[in-house]
Amino acid sequence: MNTTDHVPPPAAGTAAAPAPTAGTVALHIDDSGLATLRLGQPCETLVTFTRERLDSLEAALRLLREHAPLRGVIVTGPGPGMFCAGADVNLIRDVTDAAEGEAAATRGRLVFAVLRQLRVPVIAAIEGPCLGGGFELALCCDVRVASDHAATQIGLPEVKLGILPGFGGTQNLPRLIGLPKALDLILNGKLLRPKPAWKAGLVDRLVPSAKLLRAAHQELDRLTAAGKKAPPRSLRGLPFWLSKTPLRGLAVRAARKALDQGQARFYPAPRAALQCCLDAFTVAEERGFAAEARALGELIASPVSKGLVHLFFLTEHQKRLGKQPGAVDVARALVVGGGVMGAGIAGQFAERGVRARLCDLDFAALARAKARLQKSLGKRLAKRQLAAHEAMAVQDRLAVATEWGHLGDTDLWLEAVVEDLDVKRQLMARAVASGLPATAIIASNTSSLSVTAMAEGLPHPERVVGLHFFNPPEKMPLVEVIRGRASSDAAVATACRLAVRLGKFPVVVGDAPGFLVNRCLAPYLNEAARLLVEGTSAEAIDAAMLDFGMPMGPCRLLDEIGFDVVAKVSHVMHEAFPERMVPCELFAAMVEAKVLGQKGGGGLYGKNGHGSGPGRAVLARQQAARQTPPRAATRSELVHRLIYPLVDEAFRCLDEGLVAGEAELDLGLVMGIGFPPCTGGITWFARREGLATIVAALDELARTHGPRFVVADGLRRRALAR
Amino acid sequence: MKKSTDKKRELAIMAGLRTPFCKANGAMRAASAADLAAHVFREVLDRTPIRVGDIDEVVLGCAGQDAREANVARVAALRAGLPESVPAFTVMRNCASGMEAVLAARQKLRAGEGEVFLVGGTESMSNFPLLMGPRLTRFFTRLGKARSPWQRLRALASFRFASLKPRLAVVEGLTDPTTGLMMGSTAELVAQRFGITRADMDALALQSHQRAAEAQREQRFAAEIAPLVLMPDYRSVVLDDDGVRREQTLEALARLKPVFDRHEGDVTVGNSCQVSDGAVALLCMSVARAEQLGLEPLAIVRGAATAGLSPRTMGLGPVHATPAALQQAGLRLDQLDVVELNEAFAAQVLGCFAAFADADWCRDELGRAEPVGRLDPSRVNVNGGAIALGHPIAATGARLLLTLAHELRRRRARYGLATLCIGGGQGQAIVLEAA
Repeated sequence: MNTTDHVPPPAAGTAAAPAPTAGTVALHIDDSGLATLRLGQPCETLVTFTRERLDSLEAALRLLREHAPLRGVIVTGPGPGMFCAGADVNLIRDVTDAAEGEAAATRGRLVFAVLRQLRVPVIAAIEGPCLGGGFELALCCDVRVASDHAATQIGLPEVKLGILPGFGGTQNLPRLIGLPKALDLILNGKLLRPKPAWKAGLVDRLVPSAKLLRAAHQELDRLTAAGKKAPPRSLRGLPFWLSKTPLRGLAVRAARKALDQGQARFYPAPRAALQCCLDAFTVAEERGFAAEARALGELIASPVSKGLVHLFFLTEHQKRLGKQPGAVDVARALVVGGGVMGAGIAGQFAERGVRARLCDLDFAALARAKARLQKSLGKRLAKRQLAAHEAMAVQDRLAVATEWGHLGDTDLWLEAVVEDLDVKRQLMARAVASGLPATAIIASNTSSLSVTAMAEGLPHPERVVGLHFFNPPEKMPLVEVIRGRASSDAAVATACRLAVRLGKFPVVVGDAPGFLVNRCLAPYLNEAARLLVEGTSAEAIDAAMLDFGMPMGPCRLLDEIGFDVVAKVSHVMHEAFPERMVPCELFAAMVEAKVLGQKGGGGLYGKNGHGSGPGRAVLARQQAARQTPPRAATRSELVHRLIYPLVDEAFRCLDEGLVAGEAELDLGLVMGIGFPPCTGGITWFARREGLATIVAALDELARTHGPRFVVADGLRRRALAR
Repeated sequence: MKKSTDKKRELAIMAGLRTPFCKANGAMRAASAADLAAHVFREVLDRTPIRVGDIDEVVLGCAGQDAREANVARVAALRAGLPESVPAFTVMRNCASGMEAVLAARQKLRAGEGEVFLVGGTESMSNFPLLMGPRLTRFFTRLGKARSPWQRLRALASFRFASLKPRLAVVEGLTDPTTGLMMGSTAELVAQRFGITRADMDALALQSHQRAAEAQREQRFAAEIAPLVLMPDYRSVVLDDDGVRREQTLEALARLKPVFDRHEGDVTVGNSCQVSDGAVALLCMSVARAEQLGLEPLAIVRGAATAGLSPRTMGLGPVHATPAALQQAGLRLDQLDVVELNEAFAAQVLGCFAAFADADWCRDELGRAEPVGRLDPSRVNVNGGAIALGHPIAATGARLLLTLAHELRRRRARYGLATLCIGGGQGQAIVLEAA
């Protein structure tokens, strides 16, 4: 029976196998009655549940139910490194009606349930992604065996798409591993690597990749020998008490508390999933499944889910930017400038396997860079996400020195020094003179200077690009890849590939002041400052934006960025857009009063962000200097004045050709400034709000507040077109 | 001066770097021997225009290898980013291990087994362990094998507190097992043989500190040191050797009590080398290969020799090894412009000075009709020695060569000698010619 493990010949066995077309499952039953159900055809590297695959799965299971003699079933993926990545996201996108969603969920669950109804043992042999519907299918098997393959990931990430596991996952997983652990996985959409998955009880046995099918057969033989369909299972210990007794209220309360905090309130899916998981222990089985399907129907048709699905497609698309023609892998990088950005970026390089060298004239800064990396490694060591030898390898990959050394085999040279064009140009010229190969990328982490100007006069200017990381580089998911006028496609592609390797989302942006993120942020922060001066409290402004769904209010953000940086950037933006981006006088006043923000002992808020800070006095003086009495803006006015100009600015960037399309706007602003993901991105938000509404509101504001609210022609045309 | 056919057999030192040498259990105590070596390996590779794949073999000296880093050469090579396909081995000849690594590369070159070598020496004397003796090992073995409760009880009962008495690896390593003499005691014997006084020793120690301090002031070591960010938390950096005492006085040296012979001895911690941590990396290749790559060597090895002598007077090892090395190079002692003679003990350095010029001694010990010659003290250890800089055992031999090569360049001088005595009664010497 082992001879047909991998590629079953279609005509072998007693039952006719379905024709091997991509997108279907493959069933093979040998003479002894052992069935192998592969969720995809050997040619497939990605398996998702499309309608077609569900149909073929249903047909295969019907065949199994009627086949005799049947000894057992092994459910596995089409080949190495792939099990099933869940439902096809296109299907999720296309469901617009709650009843349709509910029906689809019920059908999927009933198809999977056949595996439970079979009288013989069913073993899932998992290698590669086993996500969402794929894992829900595995949950219907009697035993799960997983391989330690690097691609193996197990979990129910549905909430990330604004829905919940609808094929029985919210019922079957809590019953398997208990309520607390199931809530942690389902409500956060957590994916587990093989070992943690085994420890959490998602799989029964963890084996090396090469032994996966052998282990599945062993499990099958063991159950057969014992004359059982499934091994006995029952919750024990704490999971039992927190699931099957009223004590479960403790687990529920803890989970609910997390769902009421911060941005979680904009996302209904985890809350619905929590109720469903609870049902697994409190109501009859059929009612629990029915409630799950109903909840899925409601969620799948909701705008939040549609927005999240939209962003999911965008992120998937951005990840593929790393595979464009001309993109090469960066194996060795030299980072010049050991400040916060340079150190953070070099640390990220080392963590992601790039051999990095960080250079600065100040050894204290270099030590801080190593210490910072060690601190982040220490946290992962403490959580056991990292073995000691792995942490050591990361530190080994980051060399720090005052000398650049020889640049002959450097693939990427990146500067993160002061924002001074002459300094940057001198350093780039020195890099070229120090033997940097003509094929290496020269990158700048500038946030305000022209990449085109930097490249001027350099030999091979086509290799110069901007790589704009955001602070802190360890956490911020966006990298703006700046295409200068001379930048080549290959250089841009290589930069994107590097960003993807670092686990970031690259967005290619044209070379214009502020690029995309800072350009859009400038009017937003500027307007917040004007509102402050006019008399709205910082707390009210921040609360309005938090209620809108932003991760942080603009006043707190000003404190975080620091007024010196804000003043500098707004000056650059003012020069570029003299009419629309006149900086609020508050910035200069703050800098003059030496109130810099959190890095300088507090700004509008006190040190560590609590209470009010020294900036309030400066603000009060600014308010007193005005002729008009202070006036607090209303909630809707705040949204109009802060968010609508952001929409206008974003479309201006698009129309000026800074970004390729609306997709980049949506992704860039969600990842770059935290525009609420539940909206689906800024263009989606604008369309739902109504472009005409936005234009009308901005026209009104332009009349009352001046030219900074003047609507661009592009946005007006779009509004009229609808 | 050499024929072009020899260029394939002549080993050139192309570049080198070292960590600062730091007092043991001081700044670099958290860094293991592999940590130190990986750092200097990587820095040498990053700073020289050679591709890592061009390295044919890695040879590293280490006298006290940590059990966690067996074959420390391989560990350091992989951690420095050398390809897995490049082999590495560790050599051990006590104090000469770092120099032995260079000679191993030279032998491999001459045997046709490679042309480009990354070599060096590393030692973390801070990490020399406390050893638990075989009695404790036997106890645990017995306990581990015990199956029944009765056996286990009996095994437990066999425990003796005496088995917990630890052995200090650093002390045992510096004791010659065939004579039972500690290294310092052998220095006392050398001093007795040549009538060297405590005052002579202290004066040499003072001079070592003064010369090292001056070299530091003039940044003469800057070209050979790759500063190290300190493990484990990486908060600070060590830029320079930390054993040099700028304020050292003769009076302070004179106050120190002798260590090895507490009553009648003259060897003190002040006129002995310091116990230190450190690592050195040297990139070596054949002269032919260097020319082919268009790279300019630092120096070329013209002669080398190793000799054995009585372990009781191991400090005179340099006098035994030097004549053969000079003969290979076709030179006399007085033709050397600069000499690095390792300062294991001031007594032993002074003993070497005396022995080189002593006709009786040269006749009896070396079988020479004439003495080897007179060594001009003003040309020896011009930048100080191990008494000031420290003696991380296996790193020292490579450091002598590195410092010597740089000093020859600085002086635009031609010939230099690096030599050292080796615990157990050996000496090793290498003659360099500036390129």
